[in-house]
Amino acid sequence: MKQIIGEPGIDLSSDSKMDLKLTRNSESFHKPNSSNHNLNSFNQASQYFPNLSPTNFLSRAENLQQNLKTKSTNSFEPNLNSGMATQNPPLDWDPHAMLSNLSFLEQKIHEVQSLVQSIIDQQAEFSSRPSELATRQQLATADLTCIIIQLISTAGSLLPSIKNTLLSNNPALRQLVNPDFNNNLKCEGLIRNFPETARNSEYEDLLRNLDNEADWMKEPNPLPQSDIVDANPIDEHDLKESDDGDAEREHLPPGSYIVLQLEKEEILAPHTHFCVICGKGFKRDANLRMHMRGHGDEYKTPAALAKPSKEPGSDVHPVTRYSCPFVGCKRNKEHKKFQPLKTILCVKNHYKRSHCDKSYTCSRCHAKKFSVIADLKTHEKHCGRDKWQCSCGTTFSRKDKLFGHVALFQGHTPALPMDEVKASGSGQGNDDMTEDLGGYNGNFASEECLTSMDVKGIDESRAYFSPMNFDGFGALDEFGRGGFDLEDNPFAFIPSGFGQRSGDS
Amino acid sequence: MCDITAVLTVDLLAQVLDWLHDSRDLKSCRLVSRAFLQAERMHRRAIRALRLGPLPVLLRRYVGSLQSLDLSSCPSLDDSALSLSIPCPNNLRSVSLSRATGVTWRGLEVLASVCPRIEAIDISHCVGFGDREAAAVAKACWLKELRIDKCLNVTDVGLAKVAVGCSRLEKLGIKWCFEISDIGIDLLVKKCLELRELDISYLKVGNESLRSIASLSKLEDLALVGCEYIDDEGLYFLSNGNCSLQSIDISRCENVTSVGLTTLAEGQQRLRKINAGNCSPVLTSTFVSKLCTLGDTLIILKLDKLQLLASALEIVGKNCRNLLEIGLSKCNGVNDEGISWLVEGCTHLSTIDLTCCLLVTDKSLLSIATCCRGVKCLRLESCVLISEKGLDQIASCCTDLKEIDLTDCNVNDNALKCLSRCSELLVLKVGLCSGVSDIGLSFIGTNCSKLLELDLYRCTAITDDGLAAISNGCKRLKKLNLCYCNQISDTGLAHLQLEELSDLELRGMVRITSSGITAMAMGCRSLTQLDLKRCYSIDDAGMWALAQYTENLRQLTISYCTVTGLGLCHILGSLRCLQDVKMVHLSWVSIEGFELALRASCGKLKKVKLLGKLQDVLSSELLQTLQSRGCRIRWVNKPLVFKG
Repeated sequence: MKQIIGEPGIDLSSDSKMDLKLTRNSESFHKPNSSNHNLNSFNQASQYFPNLSPTNFLSRAENLQQNLKTKSTNSFEPNLNSGMATQNPPLDWDPHAMLSNLSFLEQKIHEVQSLVQSIIDQQAEFSSRPSELATRQQLATADLTCIIIQLISTAGSLLPSIKNTLLSNNPALRQLVNPDFNNNLKCEGLIRNFPETARNSEYEDLLRNLDNEADWMKEPNPLPQSDIVDANPIDEHDLKESDDGDAEREHLPPGSYIVLQLEKEEILAPHTHFCVICGKGFKRDANLRMHMRGHGDEYKTPAALAKPSKEPGSDVHPVTRYSCPFVGCKRNKEHKKFQPLKTILCVKNHYKRSHCDKSYTCSRCHAKKFSVIADLKTHEKHCGRDKWQCSCGTTFSRKDKLFGHVALFQGHTPALPMDEVKASGSGQGNDDMTEDLGGYNGNFASEECLTSMDVKGIDESRAYFSPMNFDGFGALDEFGRGGFDLEDNPFAFIPSGFGQRSGDS
Repeated sequence: MCDITAVLTVDLLAQVLDWLHDSRDLKSCRLVSRAFLQAERMHRRAIRALRLGPLPVLLRRYVGSLQSLDLSSCPSLDDSALSLSIPCPNNLRSVSLSRATGVTWRGLEVLASVCPRIEAIDISHCVGFGDREAAAVAKACWLKELRIDKCLNVTDVGLAKVAVGCSRLEKLGIKWCFEISDIGIDLLVKKCLELRELDISYLKVGNESLRSIASLSKLEDLALVGCEYIDDEGLYFLSNGNCSLQSIDISRCENVTSVGLTTLAEGQQRLRKINAGNCSPVLTSTFVSKLCTLGDTLIILKLDKLQLLASALEIVGKNCRNLLEIGLSKCNGVNDEGISWLVEGCTHLSTIDLTCCLLVTDKSLLSIATCCRGVKCLRLESCVLISEKGLDQIASCCTDLKEIDLTDCNVNDNALKCLSRCSELLVLKVGLCSGVSDIGLSFIGTNCSKLLELDLYRCTAITDDGLAAISNGCKRLKKLNLCYCNQISDTGLAHLQLEELSDLELRGMVRITSSGITAMAMGCRSLTQLDLKRCYSIDDAGMWALAQYTENLRQLTISYCTVTGLGLCHILGSLRCLQDVKMVHLSWVSIEGFELALRASCGKLKKVKLLGKLQDVLSSELLQTLQSRGCRIRWVNKPLVFKG
């Protein structure tokens, strides 16, 4: 015992061998006293269950290794290591627990010692009362058994202390060396099948490999630079211009500004840069600047040709406002209450929104249509976010709005998130639901099935279950278990009751 | 031969049966003759099923009269089983599916459709249930009572479904449905105007909810346990609302102070029950004086863990004269003076809880004995200053005493001798009293024959003789705790021949072996719960005995036992009612043993506790099957430590 504590399990093979010997001995010593026929047959049956072979263990370990590798290359997390540390179960070898176990054992041994001593002391008395001697002896035997078992388990908890951190990461390895965890039967099989030297060398290799893996993982991985940069370019459509450009707030007196009217084609041209003088549109600002040279010498200076700087132009343009080319529109200069548009962008948006087809359809709801692509994008951002739906089909962007609606109308309820959008009446929905039930798993009984079972089942069940049999409702059954032999087989893995019965009827 | 039914008609028999409450008596009655069976069938209103197997037959037999069906302890109940068990034309009013994790919304929908007159459904503790299940329940539009406690995925939407679908609801429990918010409660209050009882304990709702709830004119009973976002402002809304509460539980609401309690007592003048335990620590005298305005109506007052002065108890004693129950557990300031003032006024007190009131001495017991002769339940755990003198007074004056808790009170055999004069005693707890020995127990055994529950936790002086005295005298014991009484051996256990014993704890009794367990199992055949943790010497033979004799066993703890795979397989395979097994550190069971045992019991188990290391070794297919059958597995990572 002390030897083990002194050198905590450096020689793995010898330790486990010793342990096995001990357990094997105590197993025979500690066999359940009621070993009958059933027991034996069962024992044989258990041998048919496949043992985990050592190759299995190794392949599992390799798998784990593989997993670690792929994981660390895929996810750029330098602190994988800390994550692993948290997964570790508490150390098996706790010196305090060990000490307490040992002192417990010591105490126990003293108890047995005094017990045996008392037997010796009172031997004369016992000769007259042999039964008492027997009970004392039984007590001593029981205590000794207890001590042996605990001794083995205590010793067993020592073994995994080598390479503890690694082992605790690998369940297969841990199992391999942890006898309190695994029964001796398996270990025995393992050692028989596996030459010790080979086992040791491969084992060490494995451990070393795992070590390397762990070191490698500790190094922080350089993050790929390309991914850091935010790949979201600023969308010019997102810069929302004030809607149709309210000139009315300015209250410019008529005549204090120039009114410019672009042609329809020009408005719809896919240009974004417009000449403030003639209104011609360009795709690129550079082209516009080239164009501007034709409007006078002031546009030919290097400053004007250079890229526009932030500071507002010092040169004063005449105040310009725009008119919509659509005759009859309030924004058309012929209109009695003409309200000019402020910028060219306003003209474009106004014209498209008011006088063009809505050709952009939302790809999510397929219902909303827009003529300005920016409007579509704005909508798409929120489309589908209206997850708060009422049973009447109305959707809401906010839960409290939906609940306000539900509170207001009799019979309306919030729709479940998983429900398909069925704007039709609730009756329709119910029918669908029952259809679903019929098909559920193939064996789900719908209502009709249930009733038919009932009618047929009564007579047959009377014959089958005697009226006395249900006492305590399936609990204590004093009249034997005749009625329920379907479930009496302790190893009937599938509770048969229902399948059987539905088959009958 | 004369037929007894000629004299005793079936309806007369049914009237006789009204007076039978014990299931054993009913059973012997059933066994008399077919006519008696018929009478019993017509008379029975409720069934609580323990297994699925015989359920369809039973239900068909009782379908005419049956109103209440409890399936909460049925293992492996799933949708198809549920729909097959419930016969179609039925009069069911109440169904309990608590903890039936195998049932889904489909099953609930069928239930709602085949039971047109159902009024009460309990689906509490089905932790996976969410809005869909709530919606299915909501189809039972005549529902008056619904419990969906701890259905963790129920959100405001699910609650709204229930609120709209079951507008006649009178009682609703939504404890631990953490997803529910103020908005949901508001809608509930608008739709269910009939609500009388509401339990919103542990919800993360705020004062706005209380503002809504205050408008429920019929509300009588409100539980707000552990609502951390509720404070005095919320109680202000309640006190000024339309409701006239009779009972309120605001225990563990950390942000509620004396001010809130005072306003509540001002506004709600019909309060009969108040539980304000574990609120803010300091209780001001203004609240207590406001309590006086409630005066005669108040019958239950619980002030656990609040700082009280003796003067406060004086005010309570002078004004609340009809008080039946008072809870002063862990109240620091409670002393003999306070108690004597309290009991002088409140002479009708039947339950007094003084747990951990460390200043209480025999004087308090004396004043209780002289003033409250009708006291039935006395909880004195950790009142270390009391002795047999006080208990002697109690025993001689309060002859109606039914329950007394003396855990950790250092009482001795003399105290038990005094208490044994209370022949009505049903519950006796003397755990951790190392002075209690066989002599004391022999008094209890001879005089307290009605005892139902006895707690002898760590009464280390007890030996086999004491246990013999108890089992010979208290034949009606249902619950017995002998944990760590490590002098008791197999001989003592063999004395345990208690037919009605259902709950037995033998944890840490290192001397008992399988032969003791065998003898015990043969005598106590109604056991449903058994704890054998750290009984190191119990092996397979014990398991075989349990499997053979205690067929009703539902909960079993065999951690640290020396059971092998064989024994485990056998017991898990053959016990039909077993639902909850704790088997940590079964060092003698191989992995195949665990696999086989779990497979053998698959479909019955609802809860399993296993060593965490097994998680990686047991086949994932098995674990999945277990989980899909509604079994929850708890993995424990404890080092193996032996204790004596």
